Amino acid sequence: MRLVPDLAVPHRPFQRAAGRRHGALFSAVALTAAWLAIPVLLGQYEVFIAAQVMIYAVATLGLDIVYGRAGQLSLAHASFFGLGAYTAALSGPLGIPLWVQPELVVLLAIAGGIIVAVPTLRLSGLRLALVTLLFGELFDWAIDHSLALTGGSQGMTVAPMTIGPFNSQGTVDAYLLASIIALGATLLTRQLARSQLGRRMLAVRDSELASASLGVPIVHTKITAFILSAVFAGAAGWVYAYVVGFVSPTTFNLFASVYFLVAVILGGAGRITGAWLGSAYIVLVPEVFNLVGYPNLFPVLGGGVLIAIALFLPGGLVEGAALIRAQLGLHRR
Amino acid sequence: MTALLKLDRVSVRFGGLAAVTDVTMAFSPGSLTGLIGPNGAGKTTLLNAISGFTAITSGHIAMNEIDLSPLSAAERARLGVVRGFQTVRLLERETVFDNVLVGCERLPQPGLLGQLLALPPERRCRARDLAATETTLRDLGLLPIAHRRVDELPFASRRLTEIARLLVVRPTVLLLDEPAAGLDTRDRRALVESIRTYHEAGGLTTIIIEHDIELVRRLCPYSVALDMGRIIASGSPNEVLSEPAVQQAYFGVRSGA
Ligand SMILES: Nc1ncnc2c1ncn2[C@@H]1O[C@H](COP(=O)(O)OP(=O)(O)OP(=O)(O)O)[C@@H](O)[C@H]1O
Ligand SMILES: [Mg+2]
Repeated sequence: MRLVPDLAVPHRPFQRAAGRRHGALFSAVALTAAWLAIPVLLGQYEVFIAAQVMIYAVATLGLDIVYGRAGQLSLAHASFFGLGAYTAALSGPLGIPLWVQPELVVLLAIAGGIIVAVPTLRLSGLRLALVTLLFGELFDWAIDHSLALTGGSQGMTVAPMTIGPFNSQGTVDAYLLASIIALGATLLTRQLARSQLGRRMLAVRDSELASASLGVPIVHTKITAFILSAVFAGAAGWVYAYVVGFVSPTTFNLFASVYFLVAVILGGAGRITGAWLGSAYIVLVPEVFNLVGYPNLFPVLGGGVLIAIALFLPGGLVEGAALIRAQLGLHRR
Repeated sequence: MTALLKLDRVSVRFGGLAAVTDVTMAFSPGSLTGLIGPNGAGKTTLLNAISGFTAITSGHIAMNEIDLSPLSAAERARLGVVRGFQTVRLLERETVFDNVLVGCERLPQPGLLGQLLALPPERRCRARDLAATETTLRDLGLLPIAHRRVDELPFASRRLTEIARLLVVRPTVLLLDEPAAGLDTRDRRALVESIRTYHEAGGLTTIIIEHDIELVRRLCPYSVALDMGRIIASGSPNEVLSEPAVQQAYFGVRSGA
Protein backbone atom coordinates (compact mmCIF):
# COMPACT_ATOMS: atom_id res chain seq x y z
CA MET A 1 0.00 0.00 0.00
CA ARG A 2 1.45 3.36 -0.98
CA LEU A 3 -0.85 6.10 0.21
CA VAL A 4 2.06 7.11 2.37
CA PRO A 5 4.50 9.44 0.63
CA ASP A 6 8.00 8.32 -0.23
CA LEU A 7 9.97 9.93 2.52
CA ALA A 8 13.31 11.59 2.06
CA VAL A 9 14.12 11.22 5.75
CA PRO A 10 13.20 7.97 7.47
CA HIS A 11 10.77 8.54 10.30
CA ARG A 12 10.79 6.49 13.43
CA PRO A 13 7.76 7.86 15.17
CA PHE A 14 7.82 5.79 18.31
CA GLN A 15 11.48 6.41 18.99
CA ARG A 16 10.95 10.12 19.02
CA ALA A 17 9.13 9.78 22.31
CA ALA A 18 12.33 8.75 24.07
CA GLY A 19 14.24 11.76 22.74
CA ARG A 20 11.39 13.93 23.89
CA ARG A 21 11.59 12.52 27.40
CA HIS A 22 15.27 13.50 27.67
CA GLY A 23 14.36 16.96 26.41
CA ALA A 24 11.58 17.25 28.96
CA LEU A 25 13.87 16.20 31.82
CA PHE A 26 16.47 18.75 30.75
CA SER A 27 13.83 21.50 30.53
CA ALA A 28 12.46 20.58 33.96
CA VAL A 29 15.91 20.80 35.56
CA ALA A 30 16.70 24.09 33.82
CA LEU A 31 13.35 25.62 34.78
CA THR A 32 13.67 24.54 38.41
CA ALA A 33 17.18 26.03 38.56
CA ALA A 34 15.90 29.31 37.10
CA TRP A 35 12.97 29.30 39.50
CA LEU A 36 15.34 28.94 42.48
CA ALA A 37 17.84 31.44 41.09
CA ILE A 38 15.39 34.32 40.68
CA PRO A 39 14.67 35.01 44.38
CA VAL A 40 18.25 34.18 45.37
CA LEU A 41 20.11 36.26 42.79
CA LEU A 42 17.73 39.10 41.91
CA GLY A 43 16.55 42.10 43.88
CA GLN A 44 13.11 42.55 45.45
CA TYR A 45 11.75 44.54 42.54
CA GLU A 46 12.77 41.94 39.93
CA VAL A 47 11.33 39.10 42.02
CA PHE A 48 8.07 41.01 42.30
CA ILE A 49 8.00 41.43 38.50
CA ALA A 50 8.71 37.71 38.06
CA ALA A 51 5.70 36.97 40.27
CA GLN A 52 3.59 39.16 38.02
CA VAL A 53 4.82 37.31 34.94
CA MET A 54 3.63 34.06 36.52
CA ILE A 55 0.25 35.53 37.48
CA TYR A 56 -0.29 36.92 34.00
CA ALA A 57 0.80 33.56 32.58
CA VAL A 58 -2.15 31.93 34.37
CA ALA A 59 -4.60 34.41 32.85
CA THR A 60 -2.94 34.08 29.43
CA LEU A 61 -3.19 30.30 29.61
CA GLY A 62 -6.89 30.85 30.27
CA LEU A 63 -7.37 33.02 27.19
CA ASP A 64 -5.33 30.51 25.26
CA ILE A 65 -7.92 27.85 26.12
CA VAL A 66 -10.87 29.78 24.77
CA TYR A 67 -9.12 31.62 21.93
CA GLY A 68 -5.96 29.67 21.12
CA ARG A 69 -7.55 26.24 21.39
CA ALA A 70 -11.31 26.62 20.96
CA GLY A 71 -10.93 29.55 18.54
CA GLN A 72 -13.46 31.85 20.24
CA LEU A 73 -12.29 35.46 20.25
CA SER A 74 -12.98 37.05 23.64
CA LEU A 75 -12.46 40.68 24.59
CA ALA A 76 -13.88 40.19 28.08
CA HIS A 77 -10.91 38.27 29.44
CA ALA A 78 -9.51 41.09 31.58
CA SER A 79 -12.94 41.39 33.19
CA PHE A 80 -12.67 37.84 34.51
CA PHE A 81 -9.22 38.74 35.77
CA GLY A 82 -10.89 41.74 37.44
CA LEU A 83 -13.68 39.57 38.84
CA GLY A 84 -11.09 37.57 40.79
CA ALA A 85 -9.15 40.67 41.80
CA TYR A 86 -12.21 42.52 43.12
CA THR A 87 -13.34 39.40 44.98
CA ALA A 88 -10.07 39.56 46.89
CA ALA A 89 -10.27 43.34 47.29
CA LEU A 90 -13.86 43.38 48.54
CA SER A 91 -13.46 40.36 50.81
CA GLY A 92 -11.83 42.58 53.44
CA PRO A 93 -14.60 45.17 53.72
CA LEU A 94 -17.34 42.54 53.24
CA GLY A 95 -15.75 40.20 55.78
CA ILE A 96 -15.57 37.12 53.55
CA PRO A 97 -13.22 34.60 55.19
CA LEU A 98 -10.15 33.50 53.27
CA TRP A 99 -11.12 29.86 52.91
CA VAL A 100 -14.42 30.77 51.20
CA GLN A 101 -12.79 33.04 48.63
CA PRO A 102 -11.28 30.50 46.20
CA GLU A 103 -14.63 28.70 45.93
CA LEU A 104 -16.36 32.04 45.48
CA VAL A 105 -13.95 33.07 42.72
CA VAL A 106 -14.50 29.76 40.93
CA LEU A 107 -18.29 30.02 41.23
CA LEU A 108 -18.33 33.63 40.04
CA ALA A 109 -16.04 32.77 37.14
CA ILE A 110 -18.22 29.82 36.12
CA ALA A 111 -21.31 32.02 36.23
CA GLY A 112 -19.55 34.80 34.34
CA GLY A 113 -18.16 32.34 31.78
CA ILE A 114 -21.65 30.99 31.10
CA ILE A 115 -23.17 34.46 30.88
CA VAL A 116 -20.59 35.51 28.30
CA ALA A 117 -20.65 32.19 26.45
CA VAL A 118 -24.35 31.67 25.90
CA PRO A 119 -25.17 34.68 23.74
CA THR A 120 -21.98 34.15 21.79
CA LEU A 121 -22.74 30.58 20.73
CA ARG A 122 -24.36 31.68 17.50
CA LEU A 123 -21.70 34.25 16.70
CA SER A 124 -18.11 34.05 15.57
CA GLY A 125 -15.22 36.28 14.59
CA LEU A 126 -15.78 40.01 14.81
CA ARG A 127 -19.39 39.87 15.98
CA LEU A 128 -18.43 37.50 18.77
CA ALA A 129 -15.60 39.86 19.74
CA LEU A 130 -18.05 42.78 19.87
CA VAL A 131 -20.45 40.99 22.19
CA THR A 132 -17.65 39.94 24.54
CA LEU A 133 -16.44 43.55 24.39
CA LEU A 134 -19.86 44.66 25.60
CA PHE A 135 -19.55 42.37 28.62
CA GLY A 136 -16.13 43.82 29.36
CA GLU A 137 -17.47 47.37 29.23
CA LEU A 138 -20.35 46.36 31.49
CA PHE A 139 -17.86 45.13 34.10
CA ASP A 140 -15.94 48.43 33.93
CA TRP A 141 -19.16 50.35 34.28
CA ALA A 142 -20.21 48.32 37.31
CA ILE A 143 -16.90 49.03 39.08
CA ASP A 144 -17.08 52.73 38.27
CA HIS A 145 -20.63 53.00 39.53
CA SER A 146 -20.19 51.28 42.86
CA LEU A 147 -17.94 54.03 44.19
CA ALA A 148 -18.68 53.53 47.85
CA LEU A 149 -17.53 49.93 47.69
CA THR A 150 -14.78 49.87 45.04
CA GLY A 151 -13.47 53.42 45.02
CA GLY A 152 -14.50 53.60 41.37
CA SER A 153 -11.76 54.66 38.99
CA GLN A 154 -9.59 55.68 41.98
CA GLY A 155 -9.12 52.03 42.80
CA MET A 156 -8.75 50.53 46.25
CA THR A 157 -6.00 49.03 48.35
CA VAL A 158 -6.11 45.36 49.25
CA ALA A 159 -4.98 44.09 52.63
CA PRO A 160 -2.45 41.26 52.29
CA MET A 161 -3.43 37.65 52.71
CA THR A 162 -1.78 36.40 55.89
CA ILE A 163 -1.55 32.82 57.08
CA GLY A 164 0.80 32.49 60.06
CA PRO A 165 4.16 33.91 58.94
CA PHE A 166 3.01 34.03 55.31
CA ASN A 167 2.21 37.50 53.95
CA SER A 168 1.16 37.72 50.31
CA GLN A 169 2.80 41.11 49.91
CA GLY A 170 6.21 39.94 51.09
CA THR A 171 8.53 39.45 48.11
CA VAL A 172 9.36 35.77 48.47
CA ASP A 173 5.84 34.94 49.70
CA ALA A 174 4.31 36.60 46.65
CA TYR A 175 6.74 34.73 44.44
CA LEU A 176 5.73 31.42 46.07
CA LEU A 177 2.01 32.10 45.84
CA ALA A 178 2.31 33.03 42.17
CA SER A 179 4.44 29.95 41.54
CA ILE A 180 1.82 27.67 43.02
CA ILE A 181 -1.06 28.81 40.82
CA ALA A 182 1.22 29.11 37.78
CA LEU A 183 2.35 25.51 38.22
CA GLY A 184 -1.24 24.37 38.80
CA ALA A 185 -2.54 26.18 35.71
CA THR A 186 0.30 24.89 33.56
CA LEU A 187 -0.25 21.28 34.64
CA LEU A 188 -4.01 21.56 34.11
CA THR A 189 -3.50 23.01 30.63
CA ARG A 190 -1.03 20.26 29.80
CA GLN A 191 -3.54 17.63 30.85
CA LEU A 192 -6.25 19.46 28.87
CA ALA A 193 -4.06 19.26 25.77
CA ARG A 194 -3.70 15.50 26.28
CA SER A 195 -7.40 14.92 26.85
CA GLN A 196 -10.25 14.43 24.44
CA LEU A 197 -11.69 17.72 25.67
CA GLY A 198 -8.59 19.55 24.43
CA ARG A 199 -8.77 17.83 21.04
CA ARG A 200 -12.48 18.66 20.82
CA MET A 201 -11.60 22.32 21.23
CA LEU A 202 -9.06 22.20 18.41
CA ALA A 203 -11.63 20.44 16.24
CA VAL A 204 -14.23 23.13 16.93
CA ARG A 205 -11.66 25.83 16.17
CA ASP A 206 -10.56 24.29 12.88
CA SER A 207 -13.92 23.25 11.48
CA GLU A 208 -17.32 23.13 13.13
CA LEU A 209 -18.58 21.04 10.20
CA ALA A 210 -15.93 18.39 10.65
CA SER A 211 -16.43 18.47 14.43
CA ALA A 212 -20.13 17.79 14.08
CA SER A 213 -19.40 14.93 11.69
CA LEU A 214 -17.24 13.34 14.40
CA GLY A 215 -19.92 13.71 17.06
CA VAL A 216 -18.26 16.59 18.92
CA PRO A 217 -20.86 18.47 21.01
CA ILE A 218 -19.99 21.96 19.74
CA VAL A 219 -22.08 24.12 22.09
CA HIS A 220 -20.96 22.14 25.13
CA THR A 221 -17.31 22.43 24.05
CA LYS A 222 -17.50 26.21 23.59
CA ILE A 223 -19.19 26.77 26.95
CA THR A 224 -16.62 24.57 28.69
CA ALA A 225 -13.82 26.56 27.06
CA PHE A 226 -15.33 29.86 28.20
CA ILE A 227 -15.79 28.54 31.74
CA LEU A 228 -12.24 27.19 32.02
CA SER A 229 -10.79 30.41 30.66
CA ALA A 230 -12.83 32.46 33.12
CA VAL A 231 -11.74 30.29 36.05
CA PHE A 232 -8.06 30.64 35.09
CA ALA A 233 -8.42 34.42 34.75
CA GLY A 234 -10.40 34.69 37.98
CA ALA A 235 -7.83 32.71 39.95
CA ALA A 236 -5.02 34.83 38.48
CA GLY A 237 -6.86 38.04 39.35
CA TRP A 238 -7.48 36.89 42.90
CA VAL A 239 -3.78 36.23 43.48
CA TYR A 240 -2.87 39.44 41.62
CA ALA A 241 -4.87 41.57 44.05
CA TYR A 242 -3.27 39.95 47.11
CA VAL A 243 0.23 40.25 45.69
CA VAL A 244 0.04 43.79 44.31
CA GLY A 245 -2.14 45.15 47.12
CA PHE A 246 -4.01 47.58 44.90
CA VAL A 247 -6.74 47.23 42.26
CA SER A 248 -8.21 49.79 39.87
CA PRO A 249 -10.40 49.41 36.77
CA THR A 250 -7.63 50.32 34.31
CA THR A 251 -5.92 47.00 35.05
CA PHE A 252 -9.03 45.20 33.80
CA ASN A 253 -10.28 47.33 30.90
CA LEU A 254 -10.45 46.70 27.18
CA PHE A 255 -6.75 47.48 26.72
CA ALA A 256 -5.86 44.80 29.24
CA SER A 257 -8.04 42.31 27.32
CA VAL A 258 -6.24 43.27 24.12
CA TYR A 259 -2.86 42.74 25.81
CA PHE A 260 -3.90 39.23 26.85
CA LEU A 261 -4.83 38.61 23.23
CA VAL A 262 -1.46 39.96 22.14
CA ALA A 263 0.22 37.60 24.62
CA VAL A 264 -1.61 34.59 23.17
CA ILE A 265 -0.95 35.49 19.54
CA LEU A 266 2.64 36.57 20.08
CA GLY A 267 3.61 33.46 22.01
CA GLY A 268 1.73 31.11 19.72
CA ALA A 269 -1.93 30.16 20.02
CA GLY A 270 -2.60 26.75 21.52
CA ARG A 271 0.89 26.39 23.00
CA ILE A 272 1.66 26.42 26.73
CA THR A 273 5.18 27.80 26.21
CA GLY A 274 3.60 30.41 23.97
CA ALA A 275 1.33 31.64 26.77
CA TRP A 276 4.35 31.96 29.09
CA LEU A 277 6.40 33.85 26.52
CA GLY A 278 3.45 36.09 25.73
CA SER A 279 2.92 36.84 29.40
CA ALA A 280 6.61 37.66 29.87
CA TYR A 281 6.30 40.05 26.94
CA ILE A 282 3.25 41.94 28.21
CA VAL A 283 4.70 42.28 31.72
CA LEU A 284 8.40 42.83 31.07
CA VAL A 285 8.49 45.01 27.98
CA PRO A 286 6.28 47.82 29.37
CA GLU A 287 8.43 47.66 32.50
CA VAL A 288 11.56 48.20 30.42
CA PHE A 289 9.96 51.18 28.68
CA ASN A 290 9.05 52.57 32.10
CA LEU A 291 12.63 52.19 33.29
CA VAL A 292 14.11 54.06 30.31
CA GLY A 293 11.48 56.77 30.75
CA TYR A 294 9.31 56.30 27.64
CA PRO A 295 6.25 54.40 28.93
CA ASN A 296 4.12 55.66 26.04
CA LEU A 297 6.25 53.96 23.44
CA PHE A 298 5.12 50.46 24.46
CA PRO A 299 1.77 50.51 22.63
CA VAL A 300 3.52 51.71 19.47
CA LEU A 301 6.11 48.97 19.66
CA GLY A 302 3.38 46.49 20.63
CA GLY A 303 1.40 47.32 17.49
CA GLY A 304 4.49 46.98 15.33
CA VAL A 305 5.47 43.66 16.89
CA LEU A 306 1.96 42.30 16.44
CA ILE A 307 1.90 43.24 12.75
CA ALA A 308 5.31 41.67 12.25
CA ILE A 309 4.17 38.45 13.95
CA ALA A 310 0.95 38.33 11.94
CA LEU A 311 2.88 38.79 8.70
CA PHE A 312 5.94 36.64 9.26
CA LEU A 313 5.25 34.24 12.12
CA PRO A 314 1.56 33.30 12.22
CA GLY A 315 2.44 30.49 14.64
CA GLY A 316 3.96 32.95 17.14
CA LEU A 317 7.29 32.79 18.97
CA VAL A 318 7.06 29.06 19.71
CA GLU A 319 6.80 28.27 16.02
CA GLY A 320 9.54 30.82 15.29
CA ALA A 321 11.86 29.05 17.70
CA ALA A 322 11.07 25.72 16.03
CA LEU A 323 11.93 27.24 12.64
CA ILE A 324 15.24 28.53 13.95
CA ARG A 325 16.05 25.13 15.45
CA ALA A 326 15.25 23.52 12.11
CA GLN A 327 17.51 26.04 10.33
CA LEU A 328 20.35 25.19 12.67
CA GLY A 329 19.81 21.50 12.04
CA LEU A 330 18.85 20.90 15.65
CA HIS A 331 15.31 19.81 14.90
CA ARG A 332 14.17 16.54 16.37
CA ARG A 333 11.63 15.63 13.72
CA MET B 1 -33.01 -8.65 4.99
CA THR B 2 -34.53 -5.62 6.68
CA ALA B 3 -33.04 -2.30 5.77
CA LEU B 4 -30.67 -0.53 8.14
CA LEU B 5 -31.09 2.91 6.62
CA LYS B 6 -34.29 3.97 4.89
CA LEU B 7 -35.00 7.11 2.88
CA ASP B 8 -38.66 7.62 2.15
CA ARG B 9 -39.65 10.27 -0.44
CA VAL B 10 -36.89 12.60 0.72
CA SER B 11 -36.85 16.06 -0.84
CA VAL B 12 -34.52 18.99 -0.24
CA ARG B 13 -35.24 22.42 -1.67
CA PHE B 14 -33.06 25.51 -1.51
CA GLY B 15 -35.53 28.31 -2.09
CA GLY B 16 -36.83 27.66 -5.57
CA LEU B 17 -34.19 25.05 -6.38
CA ALA B 18 -35.14 21.40 -5.99
CA ALA B 19 -31.76 19.83 -5.14
CA VAL B 20 -33.21 16.43 -4.19
CA THR B 21 -36.71 15.29 -5.14
CA ASP B 22 -38.68 12.30 -3.85
CA VAL B 23 -35.75 9.99 -3.25
CA THR B 24 -36.72 6.61 -1.79
CA MET B 25 -33.92 4.17 -1.00
CA ALA B 26 -33.15 1.37 1.43
CA PHE B 27 -29.69 0.21 2.47
CA SER B 28 -29.28 -3.20 4.03
CA PRO B 29 -26.65 -3.77 6.75
CA GLY B 30 -23.23 -4.40 5.27
CA SER B 31 -24.12 -2.98 1.86
CA LEU B 32 -21.70 -0.91 -0.21
CA THR B 33 -23.46 1.49 -2.55
CA GLY B 34 -21.97 3.77 -5.17
CA LEU B 35 -23.81 7.04 -5.73
CA ILE B 36 -23.12 8.51 -9.16
CA GLY B 37 -24.45 11.37 -11.26
CA PRO B 38 -23.29 14.48 -13.09
CA ASN B 39 -22.21 17.71 -11.35
CA GLY B 40 -25.04 19.34 -9.46
CA ALA B 41 -27.13 16.15 -9.47
CA GLY B 42 -27.78 16.43 -5.74
CA LYS B 43 -25.41 13.71 -4.50
CA THR B 44 -23.72 15.81 -1.81
CA THR B 45 -27.06 17.26 -0.79
CA LEU B 46 -28.42 13.75 -0.26
CA LEU B 47 -25.39 12.86 1.87
CA ASN B 48 -25.89 16.08 3.84
CA ALA B 49 -29.51 15.14 4.42
CA ILE B 50 -28.58 11.71 5.76
CA SER B 51 -25.79 13.02 7.99
CA GLY B 52 -27.86 15.93 9.30
CA PHE B 53 -25.98 18.82 7.69
CA THR B 54 -28.97 19.87 5.60
CA ALA B 55 -32.57 19.87 6.77
CA ILE B 56 -34.93 17.94 4.53
CA THR B 57 -37.98 19.71 3.15
CA SER B 58 -40.18 16.62 3.19
CA GLY B 59 -39.97 12.85 3.59
CA HIS B 60 -38.42 10.59 6.23
CA ILE B 61 -34.98 9.26 7.04
CA ALA B 62 -34.70 6.45 9.54
CA MET B 63 -31.93 4.20 10.81
CA ASN B 64 -32.90 0.98 12.57
CA GLU B 65 -36.44 2.38 12.66
CA ILE B 66 -35.17 5.46 14.56
CA ASP B 67 -36.33 8.69 12.93
CA LEU B 68 -33.17 10.74 12.31
CA SER B 69 -34.94 14.01 11.50
CA PRO B 70 -34.94 15.54 15.00
CA LEU B 71 -31.26 14.68 15.55
CA SER B 72 -28.39 17.09 14.94
CA ALA B 73 -25.39 16.10 12.84
CA ALA B 74 -23.32 15.47 15.98
CA GLU B 75 -26.06 13.30 17.50
CA ARG B 76 -26.31 11.25 14.30
CA ALA B 77 -22.54 10.84 14.35
CA ARG B 78 -22.74 9.49 17.88
CA LEU B 79 -25.34 6.99 16.63
CA GLY B 80 -22.70 5.88 14.13
CA VAL B 81 -23.64 7.84 11.00
CA VAL B 82 -20.33 9.45 10.00
CA ARG B 83 -19.21 11.21 6.86
CA GLY B 84 -16.22 12.56 5.02
CA PHE B 85 -16.23 15.82 3.13
CA GLN B 86 -15.63 16.64 -0.50
CA THR B 87 -12.76 18.86 0.70
CA VAL B 88 -10.58 17.36 3.44
CA ARG B 89 -11.02 19.04 6.82
CA LEU B 90 -8.35 18.23 9.40
CA LEU B 91 -6.71 19.78 12.46
CA GLU B 92 -4.05 21.39 10.32
CA ARG B 93 -1.42 22.04 12.98
CA GLU B 94 -1.67 18.63 14.59
CA THR B 95 -0.14 15.28 13.72
CA VAL B 96 -1.76 12.42 11.82
CA PHE B 97 -1.94 10.56 15.12
CA ASP B 98 -3.79 13.34 16.95
CA ASN B 99 -6.15 13.84 14.03
CA VAL B 100 -7.19 10.20 14.16
CA LEU B 101 -7.37 10.28 17.96
CA VAL B 102 -10.08 12.97 17.70
CA GLY B 103 -12.26 10.34 16.03
CA CYS B 104 -12.47 8.50 19.38
CA GLU B 105 -14.96 11.19 20.35
CA ARG B 106 -17.71 8.68 19.55
CA LEU B 107 -16.60 6.38 22.37
CA PRO B 108 -17.81 7.22 25.88
CA GLN B 109 -15.44 9.76 27.48
CA PRO B 110 -15.07 10.75 31.15
CA GLY B 111 -16.47 14.06 32.41
CA LEU B 112 -14.67 17.39 32.69
CA LEU B 113 -13.01 16.81 36.07
CA GLY B 114 -12.08 13.25 35.21
CA GLN B 115 -10.31 14.47 32.08
CA LEU B 116 -8.63 17.50 33.67
CA LEU B 117 -7.37 15.65 36.73
CA ALA B 118 -6.38 12.51 34.78
CA LEU B 119 -8.43 10.31 37.10
CA PRO B 120 -8.32 6.51 36.56
CA PRO B 121 -11.32 6.42 34.12
CA GLU B 122 -9.55 9.01 31.98
CA ARG B 123 -6.37 6.96 31.96
CA ARG B 124 -8.28 3.84 30.96
CA CYS B 125 -10.10 5.68 28.16
CA ARG B 126 -6.88 7.23 26.95
CA ALA B 127 -5.17 3.85 26.77
CA ARG B 128 -8.17 2.48 24.85
CA ASP B 129 -8.15 5.44 22.42
CA LEU B 130 -4.39 5.26 21.84
CA ALA B 131 -4.65 1.55 21.06
CA ALA B 132 -7.57 2.03 18.65
CA THR B 133 -5.73 4.83 16.89
CA GLU B 134 -2.56 2.83 16.50
CA THR B 135 -4.47 -0.16 15.10
CA THR B 136 -6.31 1.98 12.57
CA LEU B 137 -3.12 3.74 11.49
CA ARG B 138 -1.44 0.37 11.01
CA ASP B 139 -4.39 -1.01 9.02
CA LEU B 140 -4.33 1.97 6.68
CA GLY B 141 -0.53 2.07 6.37
CA LEU B 142 -0.27 5.46 8.06
CA LEU B 143 1.96 4.38 10.94
CA PRO B 144 5.22 5.59 9.32
CA ILE B 145 3.90 9.14 9.17
CA ALA B 146 1.89 9.04 12.41
CA HIS B 147 3.88 11.86 14.00
CA ARG B 148 4.05 14.19 11.01
CA ARG B 149 1.93 17.33 11.00
CA VAL B 150 -0.87 16.96 8.48
CA ASP B 151 -0.33 20.37 6.90
CA GLU B 152 3.03 19.25 5.55
CA LEU B 153 1.71 16.04 4.00
CA PRO B 154 0.64 15.39 0.41
CA PHE B 155 -3.04 15.27 -0.41
CA ALA B 156 -3.33 11.49 -0.56
CA SER B 157 -2.08 11.10 3.02
CA ARG B 158 -4.40 13.83 4.20
CA ARG B 159 -7.37 12.13 2.58
CA LEU B 160 -6.40 8.84 4.15
CA THR B 161 -5.99 10.51 7.55
CA GLU B 162 -9.54 11.80 7.25
CA ILE B 163 -10.82 8.32 6.45
CA ALA B 164 -8.82 6.83 9.34
CA ARG B 165 -10.47 9.35 11.66
CA LEU B 166 -13.89 8.12 10.53
CA LEU B 167 -12.93 4.47 10.92
CA VAL B 168 -11.10 4.56 14.26
CA VAL B 169 -14.42 3.90 15.94
CA ARG B 170 -16.32 1.51 13.70
CA PRO B 171 -19.21 3.46 12.15
CA THR B 172 -22.64 1.98 11.48
CA VAL B 173 -23.11 4.03 8.34
CA LEU B 174 -20.10 5.45 6.51
CA LEU B 175 -20.72 8.21 3.98
CA LEU B 176 -17.86 9.24 1.69
CA ASP B 177 -18.00 12.16 -0.73
CA GLU B 178 -15.61 11.63 -3.65
CA PRO B 179 -12.81 10.14 -1.55
CA ALA B 180 -10.75 9.32 -4.65
CA ALA B 181 -10.86 12.81 -6.17
CA GLY B 182 -7.36 14.19 -6.60
CA LEU B 183 -5.63 10.83 -6.04
CA ASP B 184 -3.47 9.18 -8.70
CA THR B 185 -4.12 5.67 -9.98
CA ARG B 186 -1.97 3.86 -7.43
CA ASP B 187 -3.39 5.80 -4.52
CA ARG B 188 -6.89 5.09 -5.78
CA ARG B 189 -6.22 1.39 -5.89
CA ALA B 190 -4.84 1.48 -2.34
CA LEU B 191 -7.89 3.42 -1.18
CA VAL B 192 -10.25 0.88 -2.75
CA GLU B 193 -8.35 -1.92 -1.02
CA SER B 194 -8.61 -0.19 2.39
CA ILE B 195 -12.33 0.40 2.06
CA ARG B 196 -12.88 -3.15 0.85
CA THR B 197 -10.88 -4.60 3.73
CA TYR B 198 -12.81 -2.62 6.31
CA HIS B 199 -16.01 -3.62 4.65
CA GLU B 200 -15.27 -7.29 4.57
CA ALA B 201 -14.59 -7.20 8.30
CA GLY B 202 -18.35 -6.69 8.54
CA GLY B 203 -20.92 -4.48 10.16
CA LEU B 204 -20.27 -1.44 8.02
CA THR B 205 -22.84 0.07 5.66
CA THR B 206 -21.23 2.41 3.15
CA ILE B 207 -22.49 4.95 0.65
CA ILE B 208 -19.81 6.40 -1.54
CA ILE B 209 -20.18 9.27 -4.00
CA GLU B 210 -17.72 8.86 -6.84
CA HIS B 211 -17.15 10.33 -10.27
CA ASP B 212 -14.65 7.62 -11.19
CA ILE B 213 -16.94 5.03 -12.79
CA GLU B 214 -14.16 2.45 -12.91
CA LEU B 215 -13.67 2.73 -9.17
CA VAL B 216 -17.39 2.26 -8.55
CA ARG B 217 -17.33 -0.80 -10.81
CA ARG B 218 -14.45 -2.34 -8.88
CA LEU B 219 -15.68 -1.50 -5.41
CA CYS B 220 -19.47 -1.36 -5.29
CA PRO B 221 -21.82 -4.30 -5.91
CA TYR B 222 -24.72 -1.87 -6.10
CA SER B 223 -25.09 1.65 -7.41
CA VAL B 224 -27.63 4.42 -7.78
CA ALA B 225 -27.58 7.19 -10.37
CA LEU B 226 -28.97 10.61 -9.58
CA ASP B 227 -29.75 13.41 -12.01
CA MET B 228 -31.40 16.72 -11.22
CA GLY B 229 -32.22 15.49 -7.75
CA ARG B 230 -34.04 12.33 -8.85
CA ILE B 231 -33.04 8.69 -8.97
CA ILE B 232 -32.76 7.76 -12.64
CA ALA B 233 -31.36 4.25 -12.31
CA SER B 234 -30.25 1.67 -9.77
CA GLY B 235 -28.71 -1.80 -9.87
CA SER B 236 -25.24 -3.17 -10.46
CA PRO B 237 -22.83 -0.52 -11.78
CA ASN B 238 -22.87 -2.13 -15.24
CA GLU B 239 -26.65 -2.16 -15.40
CA VAL B 240 -26.85 1.43 -14.24
CA LEU B 241 -24.28 2.63 -16.74
CA SER B 242 -26.04 0.98 -19.64
CA GLU B 243 -29.33 2.71 -18.82
CA PRO B 244 -30.23 5.22 -21.54
CA ALA B 245 -31.19 7.84 -18.94
CA VAL B 246 -27.72 7.59 -17.37
CA GLN B 247 -26.02 7.76 -20.74
CA GLN B 248 -27.99 10.86 -21.52
CA ALA B 249 -27.31 12.51 -18.15
CA TYR B 250 -23.58 11.90 -18.48
CA PHE B 251 -22.92 12.26 -22.17
CA GLY B 252 -25.99 14.08 -23.43
CA VAL B 253 -26.62 11.08 -25.71
CA ARG B 254 -30.20 11.16 -26.87
CA SER B 255 -31.53 7.69 -27.33
CA GLY B 256 -34.73 7.37 -29.29
CA ALA B 257 -36.37 10.79 -29.09
N1 LIG C 1 -26.58 25.23 0.52
C1 LIG C 1 -27.07 25.36 -0.73
N2 LIG C 1 -27.83 26.44 -1.05
C2 LIG C 1 -28.34 26.58 -2.31
N3 LIG C 1 -28.17 25.69 -3.29
C3 LIG C 1 -27.43 24.60 -3.03
C4 LIG C 1 -26.83 24.37 -1.75
N4 LIG C 1 -26.15 23.20 -1.77
C5 LIG C 1 -26.28 22.73 -3.02
N5 LIG C 1 -27.06 23.55 -3.79
C6 LIG C 1 -27.46 23.31 -5.17
O1 LIG C 1 -28.10 22.06 -5.21
C7 LIG C 1 -27.77 21.36 -6.38
C8 LIG C 1 -27.17 20.02 -6.03
O2 LIG C 1 -25.89 20.23 -5.48
P1 LIG C 1 -24.96 19.07 -4.90
O3 LIG C 1 -23.78 19.72 -4.29
O4 LIG C 1 -25.77 18.18 -4.06
O5 LIG C 1 -24.52 18.32 -6.24
P2 LIG C 1 -23.48 17.13 -6.42
O6 LIG C 1 -24.22 16.05 -7.09
O7 LIG C 1 -22.81 16.82 -5.16
O8 LIG C 1 -22.46 17.79 -7.45
P3 LIG C 1 -20.87 17.62 -7.57
O9 LIG C 1 -20.64 16.37 -8.33
O10 LIG C 1 -20.48 18.82 -8.35
O11 LIG C 1 -20.31 17.60 -6.21
C9 LIG C 1 -26.83 22.26 -7.17
O12 LIG C 1 -27.58 22.96 -8.14
C10 LIG C 1 -26.30 23.19 -6.12
O13 LIG C 1 -25.97 24.44 -6.69
MG1 LIG D 1 -20.86 16.98 -4.45
